[in-house]
Amino acid sequence: MNIQQHKVLIANRGEIAVRILRACRKLGLDFVCVYTAEDVCSGHVALARELGGESGLYRISSYHDANELLSVADDAGATAVHPGYGFFAEDFRFARRVEERGRKLVFIGPSWRVIRELGDKINTKRLARSLGVPTVPGSDRPIYDEMEAEKVARSLFDYQSQQGIARPVVLVKASAGGGGMGIEEVHDLDLFRQVYRRIRNYAMRQFKDDGVLIEQRIMDFNHLEVQILSDRRGRHPVHFGTRNCSIQSTGRQKRLEVAPGFDPSSVEYRFDAAALLDEIVQHSLKMARKVGYDSVGTWEWVVTRDGQPFLMEVNTRIQVENGVSAAISRVKGQPVDLIAEQIRTALGEPLGYSQSDITFRGVGVEYRLIAEDPDSGFAPWVGDIDRFDWTDAEWLSLHTHVPPVTADAPYTIPTEFDPNLALAIVWGKDLEEAGARGLDFLGHLRLEGHDGRGEPLRSNVEFLKNKTGQMLRF
Amino acid sequence: MRDIAEVMAELKAAPYTEKAVVAPHTGVVQFSDVEEGSEVFGPTGEWQEIPGTHIATITRERNPRNIVTAERGILRKVCRELDGTFVEAGTMLALVRHYLTRQEVISRLLMESLYTFCAPERARYYFAPDVDKKVKILGCRTVSVQEGMELFIVSRMKREAPLCYAGPSGIIYEVCFDQNRNVDAGAPLIVVCPPEQEESVEDVISRVEREWSDGE
Amino acid sequence: MSEFAKRLHQLSERLSYLRDIFPGKHEEELALLQTRLDEAQAAAENASGEESGAGLEALEDLFFFIECKLEDKLTPMDKVRIVRHPQRICLRDILENVYDNYTEIGGQDEHTIDPAMLIARAYITRKRGGQVYHQPVLVIGHEKGHGEEFRNGGSAKPWGNAKAKHYMGVAETEGIPIHAYVFTPGGYPLEEYPGAAQQIARNIYEMAGLTVPIIAVFSEGGSGGAEAVSLADRRLMLSHGYYSVISPEGAAAIEGRLRNGERASAELVERCAENLHLTAEDNLKFGYIDKIIQEPVLGARPYHYEFFRTLRQEVLRATDEVVLRARGFAPLRAAALHRLHDRELNLDEFYVRWDLSRAARQRLVEMRQNKFIKASHSVCKNNRSVAGRLGDAWSEQWWEIYNRLIYDFYHRNRRTIRNLFEELGSEWDMFKMRLLRTWKRQEAQELAAEEELTSLSEWSEDERGWAWVSEKAREDRAVTCPYAARRGCMDMWAFDLYNEFAGVCSSCGHHFPMEYQWVMNNCFDKDSLYEFNTEVESGNPLRFPGFDEKLAAARKKTGLKSACITFEARLEGIQVVVAILAGSFRGGSVGVAEGAKFVAAADRARRKRCPFIVYCHGTAGIRIQEGTHGVIQMPRCTVAVRRYIEAGGLYLVLYDTKSYGGPVASFLGCAFYQFAIRSSSIGFAGPGVIKNTTGIDVPPNHHNCYHALSRGHIQGVWDRRDVRANLCQAIETMGGRNLYYR
Repeated sequence: MNIQQHKVLIANRGEIAVRILRACRKLGLDFVCVYTAEDVCSGHVALARELGGESGLYRISSYHDANELLSVADDAGATAVHPGYGFFAEDFRFARRVEERGRKLVFIGPSWRVIRELGDKINTKRLARSLGVPTVPGSDRPIYDEMEAEKVARSLFDYQSQQGIARPVVLVKASAGGGGMGIEEVHDLDLFRQVYRRIRNYAMRQFKDDGVLIEQRIMDFNHLEVQILSDRRGRHPVHFGTRNCSIQSTGRQKRLEVAPGFDPSSVEYRFDAAALLDEIVQHSLKMARKVGYDSVGTWEWVVTRDGQPFLMEVNTRIQVENGVSAAISRVKGQPVDLIAEQIRTALGEPLGYSQSDITFRGVGVEYRLIAEDPDSGFAPWVGDIDRFDWTDAEWLSLHTHVPPVTADAPYTIPTEFDPNLALAIVWGKDLEEAGARGLDFLGHLRLEGHDGRGEPLRSNVEFLKNKTGQMLRF
Repeated sequence: MRDIAEVMAELKAAPYTEKAVVAPHTGVVQFSDVEEGSEVFGPTGEWQEIPGTHIATITRERNPRNIVTAERGILRKVCRELDGTFVEAGTMLALVRHYLTRQEVISRLLMESLYTFCAPERARYYFAPDVDKKVKILGCRTVSVQEGMELFIVSRMKREAPLCYAGPSGIIYEVCFDQNRNVDAGAPLIVVCPPEQEESVEDVISRVEREWSDGE
Repeated sequence: MSEFAKRLHQLSERLSYLRDIFPGKHEEELALLQTRLDEAQAAAENASGEESGAGLEALEDLFFFIECKLEDKLTPMDKVRIVRHPQRICLRDILENVYDNYTEIGGQDEHTIDPAMLIARAYITRKRGGQVYHQPVLVIGHEKGHGEEFRNGGSAKPWGNAKAKHYMGVAETEGIPIHAYVFTPGGYPLEEYPGAAQQIARNIYEMAGLTVPIIAVFSEGGSGGAEAVSLADRRLMLSHGYYSVISPEGAAAIEGRLRNGERASAELVERCAENLHLTAEDNLKFGYIDKIIQEPVLGARPYHYEFFRTLRQEVLRATDEVVLRARGFAPLRAAALHRLHDRELNLDEFYVRWDLSRAARQRLVEMRQNKFIKASHSVCKNNRSVAGRLGDAWSEQWWEIYNRLIYDFYHRNRRTIRNLFEELGSEWDMFKMRLLRTWKRQEAQELAAEEELTSLSEWSEDERGWAWVSEKAREDRAVTCPYAARRGCMDMWAFDLYNEFAGVCSSCGHHFPMEYQWVMNNCFDKDSLYEFNTEVESGNPLRFPGFDEKLAAARKKTGLKSACITFEARLEGIQVVVAILAGSFRGGSVGVAEGAKFVAAADRARRKRCPFIVYCHGTAGIRIQEGTHGVIQMPRCTVAVRRYIEAGGLYLVLYDTKSYGGPVASFLGCAFYQFAIRSSSIGFAGPGVIKNTTGIDVPPNHHNCYHALSRGHIQGVWDRRDVRANLCQAIETMGGRNLYYR
């Protein structure tokens, strides 16, 4: 089947829906868009109506309901589903259902087996170790025996002191847990047994599985990502460089991303940054090849101040910050859109180029503009936006689902979702220029609004301005 | 606060509410053989275990689901033109005219004549734990509120914040929200009856008992 | 009132009794009696005393003649009506007339925890030579009364049965026999503490090992309620009584597929009564009662004084026989009892001591247990070949010897030695540790191995998913959780729900019903199942019309021969015996075949000293089409279970989907370890039956397992996905002393 004959269901909302829509248009594909009652005013609905008319637009009860999406896909005659990020993007059951149901659809993302394989952190860690990819020191399987747990903990403390870490810390976590539940730090071997038993009993009660993981707690690190892309054959994955996502708000939420991951030409590091970037890229590609990775994906790494990398996890989806990698990349000298590449390859087209065709230049910065209050723990802000203007420039691309607003026709932020407003991607030939252009953009940005009580809009613009100077530094 | 007689006259002129029966989700609709103008029922039985009148069946992913009426009333309209078609979530399938019962009229009037504390923003609301316990066990009318009391917990976007009550002191006469649903900004949360108004409340009730005959 | 008027009144009473017993039948005869009675009444007003007196005598003769004629034509349903009639003798009449004196000890009239259950200390006076003996007995029974509302028709509530159990314990302590009178239409279906089913189960379990003689007399034996006091050494039955699995009306409602309190036609009820084979003669033939006590024409009423004498003789005879057999030494008296009939031997002038030695008590219990284990053996349809049976018998013997040798002799001694070595080993470790402490610490620091912390550990690839997957998982459709409206669950895809989620709603945890194969194939070690007794087949012992076809259909649908599957399996390497009651075969109802397989499985587990796990996938109760053949499985299987438990085993019951009725009220409910899979329902009677018998509407989740947990019926509620882990834990931590792996 020619890829132009496909019709893509966009199973998402907001900014990513807008970008998928545009990518589909660019590739000449038909699409179906969904929205819920809260999202009637969202930009993605307006754009879908403009580009595809009423017939490609369905109101559904919830983005979280797979049945809703699939029944719409059937009624609209869609042949593929793009999950975007969030919602069903990393749900291997959804991917499996899409691919194995009576009326089969194409899941635009990795095959469900890959999602399952890499969705499990323990499994990812084991896979990495089997290939010699560095991972966080500690156990790579649930430990059920107290003696063994103590042995691992003792070795971890000893290992850290050998590494010259003054205050070694060990993490004890329930292997069946997640999202910060059943996880504790231990600073002292004497306290370990107590903590271990507490976590084990908690895990037994909560998850009916008393397996416990014991790891070194990595302190003082940078958060790096490697962008990978592969076609359905999965044999020749390519990378689109690295990103540095260390600037985060409380609760480990990314706010500002920079590509490439390090810039040794303008910042001085204690280690050979170029070699390190190359190392993590090669490790990531090795793993992608091993599992037959067949879509876009991101390998997440932490790098310590001493330049030691550890693989954390793999995100088997297109990420929010994909645009910043695209901004510094050229394929055969042409600009690239990773979302379009993802759709194109997922529908069966071969990649058509190899790593040597991809070149990198300059520095990209992505700002996430969010209605939130940095002064009170980044609490989401809800209300009406009545002014949102910025100055266009050829070095800037801005993605937003907020429709054009005026004081008379404001946009109300729906309370059901995160109050993300826009992604701004700024490019500069080096770090200095990128930073200057970023500040320039933020300085000219006009973002105003008020909530139900008349209080003015709170956003993270100031926070982003302050952080611009810290990019790519430890 | 409006004059009770005026509200009463208004209610008497149109002693019913009209509510649409909407599709809860997408799917193909198949109407049952109910007729326009016939009487429909809400859930009945001691434990509300008998569902309301079956209006239509909506099938999604080969999973049929019955759509039933939530309140007693008269079926004003059935959108038969949708029979056998695929509908979006929220599409109107039928219209039910529900005649107000005496109890509903009373609560309407009280809402007009007493102080209602409204939701400042669209969010989910819960009572503070100690109040919640009291409301659940003893009923809301045992809870007295005064200005500045920490009465609610507002849950919005995965964050929770306390909300203080503002308004005259008195007892909570009625609770108007569902703890599991989002409440729109400006929608009433509770009806508060100050002690000096208790008499007039009794008055309203006896007046309704006298003047209102259960419709239909 | 004159003598004459009194006799006339009596006759009109008798006529109205006849009308009650034969509603709409034998109208000719009844009309004849009515006209004659009217004539006699009219004549009495005009004529003189003597004249009419003679006429009255003739009329009385006519009455007797017709009554005798009708007695011959009694149908089973007529007998049911006799038993239910308010004029029928009740337990208080018996206490007044059969015993020489009595004291009610379980409360008086309505001032008791349950007026339907009467407990009394009574005594019987006997003479031998010049000596007078007062022999105490404990009388337990249902009191129907003569129509008093508060007696509840003899339907005992759970606490009434609890009271009975309590006083059985008293009798055991005091060493006096128990006379149990069964006058109940059935247990009252209440789920309040301790729950009707649970209490009846406890009673049956208690009686299965009670060390005093128990004599039961049946007048109205309604299923579970009757079993609660009737697991006796000797079971007598009044000739006009009935003993049945269900009331004829109940059977008719099921047969006619009636719902919401529709009434079955009289004809259908009559036919069902016939098909249930519930009369005394039938039950004597089956062997579930030992003797019939002949009643006067058309049933005993309180003024039949002669009948009470017969009854007294019979209960005395039964008690004496039981005591003598247990004691095993009184050849002359035993022979006399055996040979002579009532008329020839006045038991009031005969004396047998009723207390028993310790050995005799044990013998008594053993005989009682054997009696029930053997019950219904002959009607069981077993297609196993003769050679196969011989082999079974041989292997049973072999296991007996093997276990004696291995566990009683070898293991006991080995344990002592091993304990000694363990102690020594610990001492040595301590010694070593003290000696080497300083040196060891250094070594550890040197070995802080980077290798170990950063390279791949040993890991055996575990298999994902379940070994057995339901057919329902192959459908491409969405499934809605029944609690979706209240708990906001999203529809699930059948493929995920019935495969990976094991039928558990991923958001609220509601358990959808799954096939019995799920637990059978997913919870035990791979390829460790060995099914036995596969040749036993459900039959139709009563030749219940239409039932053969239904059985054939069930066999075809499920591929099973009965609702009970018994097999051996391993759990983490530990051998267990498992019995499954499969809800898909005739609703998991229990009849002769199921009982036989269950008893055999319990026996096997006892011999092999394995844990005995019962997975009750679902049961609707006792199979009504098998009548008392089914009911008798309640005491029978309970006896088998008690034997197993007392031999030191682990008996664990796991309920799933819906479990109601007799099995729960006996061999399942008596387990010390009962667990339920979430969202299952457990109870005595289903909602429909409760509505029909008590008129009370029950809330939709009345039988939910959490209610059973709250009132203490079960010990825990398990998630289906954790069944295996929980079973493994259970067999390691629960149970008696005599399990082979301990």
